[in-house]
Amino acid sequence: MKSFLLRLSLASTMVMPFTASSAMAASGVMLKDDDLRNAASAGAARVGRVDKGARVEVLGRQGGWTQVSEGGRKGWVRILSVRAESGADAGAGLAGLLEAGGRRGDSSRVVATAGLRGLNEEELRSARFNANELMSLDRYQVGRAAAEHYARAVGLRSREVGYLPAPQREQTRDTPAGSPWGSGGLP
Amino acid sequence: MKRTLSWIIAALCGIGLAQAGDFDKFLKDLIKEKMQPTAPAQPTAPTQPVAPSAPVVPAAQEKPADQLLKALLSGNASQEEELRIGQQISGNLLGAAPLVRDDGLQRYVNRVGRWVALQSERPDLPWRFGVIESEDLNAFAAPGGYIFLTKGLYKRLNNEAELAGVLGHEIGHVIRKHHLKLLQKSQAIAALGSFFGSKLKNENEIVQNLIGNGAEIVARGLDKDAEYEADRIGLVLSARAGYDAYALPAVLAEIGHVAKSDKRVSLLFKTHPLPEDRLGQLSEAVGDRLDGLPEGQSGVGRFYRLR
Repeated sequence: MKSFLLRLSLASTMVMPFTASSAMAASGVMLKDDDLRNAASAGAARVGRVDKGARVEVLGRQGGWTQVSEGGRKGWVRILSVRAESGADAGAGLAGLLEAGGRRGDSSRVVATAGLRGLNEEELRSARFNANELMSLDRYQVGRAAAEHYARAVGLRSREVGYLPAPQREQTRDTPAGSPWGSGGLP
Repeated sequence: MKRTLSWIIAALCGIGLAQAGDFDKFLKDLIKEKMQPTAPAQPTAPTQPVAPSAPVVPAAQEKPADQLLKALLSGNASQEEELRIGQQISGNLLGAAPLVRDDGLQRYVNRVGRWVALQSERPDLPWRFGVIESEDLNAFAAPGGYIFLTKGLYKRLNNEAELAGVLGHEIGHVIRKHHLKLLQKSQAIAALGSFFGSKLKNENEIVQNLIGNGAEIVARGLDKDAEYEADRIGLVLSARAGYDAYALPAVLAEIGHVAKSDKRVSLLFKTHPLPEDRLGQLSEAVGDRLDGLPEGQSGVGRFYRLR
C-alpha cells in the first residue's frame, strides 16, 4: 500500500513538468498531415484536420499525444506530427553561446585559441592516444547486475517494443555509384 | 609510369590472392622488392638476399597483426578485434577531449547507458560510456561498445529519458556495426596504402593505419540511412528500458533550435542529417505503432545535473 502511494506520488511528479511547461504555450509546425482529435487517443473522435506545414500552438502533452490549437480550433495530434519551435529556448541559446567561450575542462592540455572551440576535424585528426583517460573510462564501467539493480531501484521495467522498420520510401538507393571497384565491389 | 601501373595491378591481384590464403607471402615479396628499388631486375639470383635487416618470417607463422588486417578485409572481425579498433578510436578521441572530471556524472551515465544497452541484442558487450570535455553538441560511438557524449550536449538534456535516447542512438550504431562497415568500405584503399607506404610492424600500427589519423573517423559521416536507423533504435531501446519513448525526438527538436551557424553544432550537422529531417523520418517510422505503449518514465527528478 505504502509503495503504491509512493509510486503514485512519483508518477505525479513525473507528469508535473509537462503540465508546467504547457502553461507557456510554444509554437510548432506540423511535420505531416494529421487528424485533430478531441482526446489524446487514437480512438477519440476526429474534430478536424491539420495540414503539413501548418503553424500551431502547442498547448500540452499526454503520453504520445500533444494538444494543439490552430486558427481557433483545438485538438490532439500525435506528438511526432509536430515539431516544436524554439520558445523559451531562444534566450538560453544565447546564454549558452556566451558561456561556451573558451571554457574547456583540463586547462593544461588546452591550447588557447580565440573564440569558440568546437571538437573540430583538425583537432580530431591530430588527436593523440591517451591511455590514462581510457583507463579512467574503464573504471566507470557498470556491469549488467549493477545496471539491473539501478533500474529496479528507480522503478524502471523492461517492456517489449519491436524495432521500427524503415519508413517506406521510393527505392532510390541502389549500388553505390562511382565505386572504383565496379558494381560488384570488394568481398 | 608503366612501372607504377604494374605495381597497382600487382596489388589488385594481391587482394584476389588474399582469398587464396597466399596473402602473407605476396605481401612480403612485395615489400621486399619494394625495399630494394636500386637492384636491377636480376632473376638469376636465387640466393637469399643479403639483407640481414629484413627478417624473413616463415609464411606459416601468421602474426596477429596480419590476422587482424585479414579479418577486417574480409569483414569478419571478431568481437575481440572489434574492441581493439574501438579502443584505438576511443583512446584517440579522449586525447582530443578528456573525460569530464566528475565521478558521479560518469557513473550515472554508465548506469543509464548499460541499462539501455541491456535492451539490445548485444547486452554483454563491455559497454563503456563517457561524458567528454567539449562544449560542442555531439555524441560518438566506436566499435565494441564505446559511447561518448559531449558536456555541451549533456547540459542541453532535461531528463534521464533524453539521456537514454541519445545513448540509445549511439548504441544503435554499435549493434548494427555502422562504423565497421564504413571501415570495410575504405579499408581496401587503406590497406593498399599501407603495403606501399611503410612496413607496418605491429597491431597498433595496423589498427591506426586503418582508422586514419587520430580520431578523424568520428568526424567522417556515416550514411544518412545509418543515422535514421540509429534514431529508430535509440527510440525503441529507451522505450524498452521503460523511458518516455518521445524523449529522443525532444532532443532532436532541441538541437534543431540551435542556430545552424553555431560552431558547436557544425560537426554534428556536417555528419548527420538535419534535425528536422530526422524528426520527419522518425515520425513516419513510428506512425501509430506506439499507440498502445504505456507512458514511460522521464526520470527528471533524479537526473544528474552538472554544476
